[in-house]
Order: sequence, then structure tokens, then C-alpha cells
Amino acid sequence: MTNELLRLLLLALQLGFLALLFVILYRFARALRADLRQAEATAAATRTGMGRLVVLESPGEEPSVGRVLQIGPITTLGRDLNSTIYLDDEFASGTHAALTFRGRAWYVEDRRSTNGTWVNGHRIQRPVALSYGDELVVGRVRFRLER
Amino acid sequence: MYRLAARRTELGLLIPVLLLVPLGVTVTHIARSGLADPGPLAVAVIFVGLMLGAHLVLAWSGHRGDELLLPPVAAMGALGIVMLNRLPQDLAGNPAFNLGMVGTQLVWFGIGLAAMLVVAIGVRDDGFLRHYKYSWGLLAAALLVVTLLFGAEVNGARLWIVIGPFGFQPSEAIKVMLVVFLAGYLAENRAVLAGANLRLGPVALPPIPYLAPMLVVFAAVMLVVVVSRDLGTALLFFGVFLTMLFVATGRRAYVLFGAVLFVVGAGVAYLLFPHVQERIDTWIDPWADPNGSGYQAVQAIYAFARGGLLGEGLGQGLPLVDGRLPIPAVHTDMIFAAIGEELGLLGGVAMLGLVAVIMTRGLRIAVLARDDFSTMLATGLAAGLVLQSLIIMGGNLKVVPLTGITLPFVSYGGSSLLASFVVVGLLLSISHRSIEADQAESAGLPESAHPEMHVG
Repeated sequence: MTNELLRLLLLALQLGFLALLFVILYRFARALRADLRQAEATAAATRTGMGRLVVLESPGEEPSVGRVLQIGPITTLGRDLNSTIYLDDEFASGTHAALTFRGRAWYVEDRRSTNGTWVNGHRIQRPVALSYGDELVVGRVRFRLER
Repeated sequence: MYRLAARRTELGLLIPVLLLVPLGVTVTHIARSGLADPGPLAVAVIFVGLMLGAHLVLAWSGHRGDELLLPPVAAMGALGIVMLNRLPQDLAGNPAFNLGMVGTQLVWFGIGLAAMLVVAIGVRDDGFLRHYKYSWGLLAAALLVVTLLFGAEVNGARLWIVIGPFGFQPSEAIKVMLVVFLAGYLAENRAVLAGANLRLGPVALPPIPYLAPMLVVFAAVMLVVVVSRDLGTALLFFGVFLTMLFVATGRRAYVLFGAVLFVVGAGVAYLLFPHVQERIDTWIDPWADPNGSGYQAVQAIYAFARGGLLGEGLGQGLPLVDGRLPIPAVHTDMIFAAIGEELGLLGGVAMLGLVAVIMTRGLRIAVLARDDFSTMLATGLAAGLVLQSLIIMGGNLKVVPLTGITLPFVSYGGSSLLASFVVVGLLLSISHRSIEADQAESAGLPESAHPEMHVG
């Protein structure tokens, strides 16, 4: 008799354990869905461009360190006030470098600047493709390209 | 200091997970000794304490990393602890410490969680991984060669390095280092993908920057197959590589090419080396020698069959044969068979669901990451955990050749737990950095170089 009861109890507990497992999975699934919904909403609000430049180092006033610059498919950098990104830095040339987005990747080219354009510590000789996370130095201003 | 609002999602998801261990331990205990004795709940209390502690430290430090990652990991850990608590305690564990198997495993959980927290909170800059990718790659290669040459052979595969009383399984560490190297390499060369394919007669091969590492990884993997007969580890390394390559390039053809390469390579190894042949033959037909080479596989299949849909019940399956459990390595490689027997198909499916949740979060973290290296790293780390789980589950089920790799967070074993928790720590740290950057940005004014030419 007690043995029968014990077996019933064990069966109930076993079913309870399995049920708890699936309750947990259901809650995970709901949390995943809520997170994806929210991500859709925030992605639309914050990640509009195809990339941005984070200013890591900048001796002049403009741009200031820590700024995040959204960049469009054709972006010029230089000391010329008409540049998309104006650099207040005497080591930068008037029209120093240009960033272009082609196909699936960003490219940077040097516009015959005096001090050159540097990617990850190497001076570029021709237009090169950039990866997200690459460091770009124009004059004394150091940027990081981010998604 | 504890912010009530901090990481509430994580806590909400963790609480039901934490109920699993007390419940499972109680069921096991009742099944074995009846209701008279209240039973040692210490195992459950320690596990719950460790997981809640890890959560509180994350919340307290203001960590913003993904909140949906730790709960599925804890759930896999919970199932592992329940099973290890149920198995005979003399299967493993260092007799010097007299903790028993589950006690030793709990100590490793503590160490693993501590390592996870150090990595998740401490790693603010991944430069030490990114800039030294070739060093990590070389270290992985060196460890691999050392293991193949000097490793101790356990169950017919050379996977262990034993130094004095301590042994560890370097394949866990090698996996992580390989991912770091590949992430660095692929992030650096991702932009080259526009380059034309190599043509070799009618076949279009991937361009050299992809072909070269593919051949190198392929060679390493084939070495593993031939020297250590470890098809599962080989499949794991190559699978992780192909996953990362696909995420880097978005080209199915490369994955297809890699898969064909692997199948052809494995086929050639099968024809040339008798010991590889034996492994494959055992996999295809374990009943050819059910008491010898096919014993483990056959016993696992019987265990799944006994389990059925609902399982035999915790503490009620796994009958002893001659006073021993019939499945060799049931606490490590074959733990999924034990879960299949005692929790049935439903338990096994739940386990697969947890693995799927971990993969989803890994890819989510990868998508949110701001630079290519972090994206590739998160993809590779998550794929490593998930493919390893799938390969060993598949091995237990006779879907792929069985090998000596662990089921992450579930199997008994310190190397595996430590490495897996470091992976979780790295994923949390990647996620923390991208979420923090996003929030810092949306808190300030949305800046634009030239607002009028904003491209949406």
C-alpha cells in the first residue's frame, strides 16, 4: 500500500520535474521573443547608418575625443571646412582622406595628403577596404570604425 | 549597492531553473531511500547559492551584458548536477579531498563561475586577444601537437595531458584559442571577400585568404583524426571554422566546399588507416561486436530505449549489471544517455531546447557587437559550445561517430567546466561592451557628422 503511494508520488514528482523543464523553456522562448521585438524597435532608432567613427584621440577641439560620428556613403575628412568631417589639426591636409561605402564594405583612400592616411598602424598606398573595428589615423586624429 | 532593477530579466529566468536541482535531488532521494530520511539537500543549496551569487555579483557590478545567457547555462548545469548526484559517487572525484563526484563537480562550478565573473567584468578591452591572434593560433597548434605526442590515452583516444596527479583535457582550451585566432584572422581579411574566386578548371575555389586558413585548419583536423582517432573533436574544430567562415563571408559555397573537403578527407583516412576504419565501422554497426568495441554505443541505445517518452524516473533507471553501471563513462561522455533513460525523450528534447537558446543568444551578441572581431569571436565561441553539445548528443544517439568530448555544463569534468564558463564570460564581456556603447550613445545627443546627409 505505502509502496503504491510512493510510486504514485514519484510519478507525480517526475512529471512535475519534466513540466518545470518545459515551463523554463517556455519562459526562455518568451524572453527571447520580447528581446527580439525590443531590439527591432531600438535598432530602428539608434542604428540608422552603415557605420560610424568613434574619435579615440584628437589634439584639437574638433572633433572632440569620445564623439561618435555617423557617416554617410561618401565621407571626406580634412582641414577644409567643406569636409564632411572637419578636423581642427595642423597635421591634417585640406582634403586629406575619403571614406566610401561600396558593396558590403567601407573603403578609405588618401587624397594626396602630406602626412598620409594610416590604417591599423600602416600607411596606405592605395584605397583599402576597412573592417569594422579598424583604426584610422588622419593627421593626429585617431578614429575607430564601428558598426 | 545592489540595484533592484538591475538584471531583473536574468533573475526572473533563473528562479525556476534553480528549482530544478532541489526538486531533482529530492526525487532521486525519495526513489532510493523512501520518505523516512529528509536527505542531503546540501548539493541543491550549494548549487543554488553559487548561481544566485554569480547573478548578484553581475548585478552589483552594474554589468550590462546579455541577461538571457546565464539562465540556459544554469539550466544545463542544473540537469548535470541532478544526474551526477544520482550516479554512484565513486565514479570520479579526487579521493584526497573526499568530496565524492558531485561535490568535486560543485567545487569546479565555483571555480568556473568565478572565472566567468573575472572575464565578464574584468575584460574591458579585447586587445590582448585581437592583437596576438597569431600567438594564440600558434599556442593552440603547439598544445595540439604536444597532446598528440605525449597525451595519455583514455578509451582509445589521446586527449589528456597528465602532469603528476593532475590531468587536463587540452582540447577544450585549444578550441577557445582556435576561435580567437580565426576571429582575428577573418576580421582582418573580411573586407577582401569582394575578390574573385580562384578557378581550378571548372571548379571555383574560395580566394586565397580563405583557402589558406581552410587548408591549415583542415590539415590540423586530419592530423587529429589520424593520430588520435578522434573524429568528434575533428568535426567540432572544422564545424566551428566553417560556421565562422560563413558568418564572415555569407557564402554558402565555401561551407559546401569545406564540408566536401572534410568528407573526402575522412573517406581517405578511412581507406588508409585501419584504426580509423574500426571507429567508423563501430559507429555504423555497433552490434557487429556488442560486447567489445560496440559495447558503449549499444548500452547507450538500450538506455534511450528504456527511457521512452517520460523516462524511467530520476533515480529509478540505470540498472546495475554485476554491481556496475553498464554504460562506460556515463558521468562524462555518455551523460546524455543517462538523461535519456531517466528523463526520457522529453528531457532530451528540453536539453536540445536549452542548447538552441544558447546559440540564439550567442548569435544575438554577435549581431550587436560593433566590430568584426567581436562578431566573429562571439559567433565562434557560441558555435563551439553548441556544436560540441550537438556532436556528443549525436554520438550518444549514434547519429555521428562517438568520441570523448564532454557535454558542456552537464558532464563531469573540471577542464570542460572551466573552459565553458570562460567562454560564457567572454560572451558576456562582448555583450556588455556593445550594450554600454549603445546606451552611452542614445543617452547623449544623437550625433551626426552632417545631419542633413544622414542616410537612413
